[in-house]
Amino acid sequence: MEHESERQSLRQSIKTSIEQKSAVSAIRDARRLVYISSKAVDVMFCASAFGRVSDAIHAQVGARKLKAFVVRSVTVEPIVPFISVEGVLSNYLLEIRMGGFGSYADELLNPNSALAEFKPDVVMIVLDLEEIAGRLPELCGDGIGAGVGAEIEECVSRIDRLLKGFRGLNDARIVLQGLVMPDRSSLGDVADANVGNSLTYAVSRLNDGLAAVCRSIPDCVFFNVDQIAARFGRARFRDARMFLASRLAVSQEAFRVYARGLVRSMSALFRAPRKVLCTDLDNTLWGGVLGEDGAGGIITGSSFPGNCYLSYQTYLKELSSRGILLAIVSKNNEEDVQEAFRVRAGDLAIDLNSFVARKINWDDKSQSLRSLAEELSVGLDSFVLVDDNPVECEAVRQQHPEVAVIEVPVEEPWNLVEVLGEQDFFDAPVVTIEDANRGKDYKAQAQRAQVAASARSRDEFLGSLGIVCTFQTAMEAPLARAVQLLAKTNQFNLTTRRRSAGDVERFASADGGQAVVVRVRDRFGDVGAVGMALAQNRGEACYIDSLLLSCRVIGRGIETALLAHVAEQAQQNGATRLVGEFIATKKNAPCARFYLDHGFVKRSSTSADDADSVYYELDLAESKLSTPNWITLEGETSHEYAAGTVFST
Amino acid sequence: MNTQQVPSSLRNLLGDVFEIEPEEVTPDLSVGTIENWDSFRHLQAILAIEGEYGVQFDPQRIPELTSVAVLLAELEKKGAVL
Repeated sequence: MEHESERQSLRQSIKTSIEQKSAVSAIRDARRLVYISSKAVDVMFCASAFGRVSDAIHAQVGARKLKAFVVRSVTVEPIVPFISVEGVLSNYLLEIRMGGFGSYADELLNPNSALAEFKPDVVMIVLDLEEIAGRLPELCGDGIGAGVGAEIEECVSRIDRLLKGFRGLNDARIVLQGLVMPDRSSLGDVADANVGNSLTYAVSRLNDGLAAVCRSIPDCVFFNVDQIAARFGRARFRDARMFLASRLAVSQEAFRVYARGLVRSMSALFRAPRKVLCTDLDNTLWGGVLGEDGAGGIITGSSFPGNCYLSYQTYLKELSSRGILLAIVSKNNEEDVQEAFRVRAGDLAIDLNSFVARKINWDDKSQSLRSLAEELSVGLDSFVLVDDNPVECEAVRQQHPEVAVIEVPVEEPWNLVEVLGEQDFFDAPVVTIEDANRGKDYKAQAQRAQVAASARSRDEFLGSLGIVCTFQTAMEAPLARAVQLLAKTNQFNLTTRRRSAGDVERFASADGGQAVVVRVRDRFGDVGAVGMALAQNRGEACYIDSLLLSCRVIGRGIETALLAHVAEQAQQNGATRLVGEFIATKKNAPCARFYLDHGFVKRSSTSADDADSVYYELDLAESKLSTPNWITLEGETSHEYAAGTVFST
Repeated sequence: MNTQQVPSSLRNLLGDVFEIEPEEVTPDLSVGTIENWDSFRHLQAILAIEGEYGVQFDPQRIPELTSVAVLLAELEKKGAVL
């Protein structure tokens, strides 16, 4: 066997790493091992190895510990080691608990069920067609399908009630697995494709219905297992023998792709997507080397091989349209690049304006990336670099391990889009209006910077922006955006608590609770919902659980307006003191002095169980907290923005 | 019987599945002699063996293949090259 000796040596070095409790090298070697080997036992070997060093994995690579409960009507157990291993490779330590066969309704809806007692972070719901819509095959059998539509509706609404009922009891995030398309019904391929109510058609509608249910439930994602099966080959994906004998629906050879798909769907519930894609130019955005071949000589356009690069350019444009920021990082001369974009505009699917920033120089790329991160106020762990030069890729991997580096398959440029598509770093279960507008925001940002450069003072500059803030409760604003902010904001985030939609709802609806979202616009554009706060009155005091602001709008007094708003609401709810909390992270230094700067006093006593928290207190009666005068507030009258509060100072 | 009678490929495979050393895989190893050989590991072992040696067991035989000796005999019957 081609890889046998590498396989043996990887297994040996994993063993050694485990003995030395070295998680980093164990994970690196395991990633390689499961890549080169198709043997199930190698995955079990890795699962067992990881199991022995789970503490080291948590401590050394910061893998997130998650408790996952699998609610199911089929056999999943043999796939568990595969799910665990894919989990570790995606930086999760999963503790997986299985539910009983067919007891899923009780597990989900009974507040004293084994599931409830396990207190899972995520629930994976794996039901088969028989369980979800057992009558469908028979109803579709005649191809006429009287009652098929009604049956689908009934099944979808049953799942809807089940999940909403569960959500009422439990905050665990939900992954709902869809159904694999049936193959070879009694109608035969031709009728299956042509009659209106074939089982294929019915299952596809059922999947659409289930996906819609997931969209309507907070912290819930639809796992389209059919996509995985279709990509792998549905005939190879299922195993009729093992399904009929042991209710194991997935064939062993598909365990890996299945587990990877499941973990990838789950991951989107726990991790924010990366924000910036930096692309190299030569042999990446186009073929050839601009400096050698000239603007006329670079390869791009509608015929082969230029169209390989054209599809990559189109892919980038699509990413940009949903808010992924594009940047150029290239060793070239700026004038040459401008000329290439001008001369070859007809052969390029993308123009220079699509890039929010560019580093075209002869610096090393690690340096360029670092300065881009500063310029865009985005952490390097939100960066992706696409580059054809293996040496530069390796240098960036070493200097900035947090950057995701994609090496262009130079010999196979037609595969670049495929390689990018395999990656999960841009996965997001929802796309918000704010995402779609992000590119525009960054351009407006550049215009603001120009105004700032010409303004005589900070106040004059801020006054000239014409900032308008609107406060909404998080229930009025799109909840998805509120949760996205909680998940993504790192720098101006006082406590960095990744609260779920359920948590936000609780703050919004609790007596004396607040879940406030601030929307911001100015004369350059509408940046949308960019900040939020969660707070709760307890007795005389109001405790601020979370307060955060997107880094794009820091330093314009919006943070002060938000705090003043929270204070105002707290007072109306009967509080006399406002208590702020700060938890330092690697990234949130910019807001370390936030409460001190607003007249809060540091509280001396901290209890042992929240040693990371620093508390600050403000006496609301004596506070001079108010919205800066260059900000106009807008909002419903029910929010009682007294004119005096709004325009004081 | 001694370990020499179990081919090393099968010893390694079952060692991985049951999380034991390959040397511990003897012909008398069976359900009940080690804790890890439970019904689900059994299914994992069967699937792994099928994949490794390119054979398929009759699902009705699968629950009966509960010791290394029986597994070996069944594999021999299937003409598997170990």
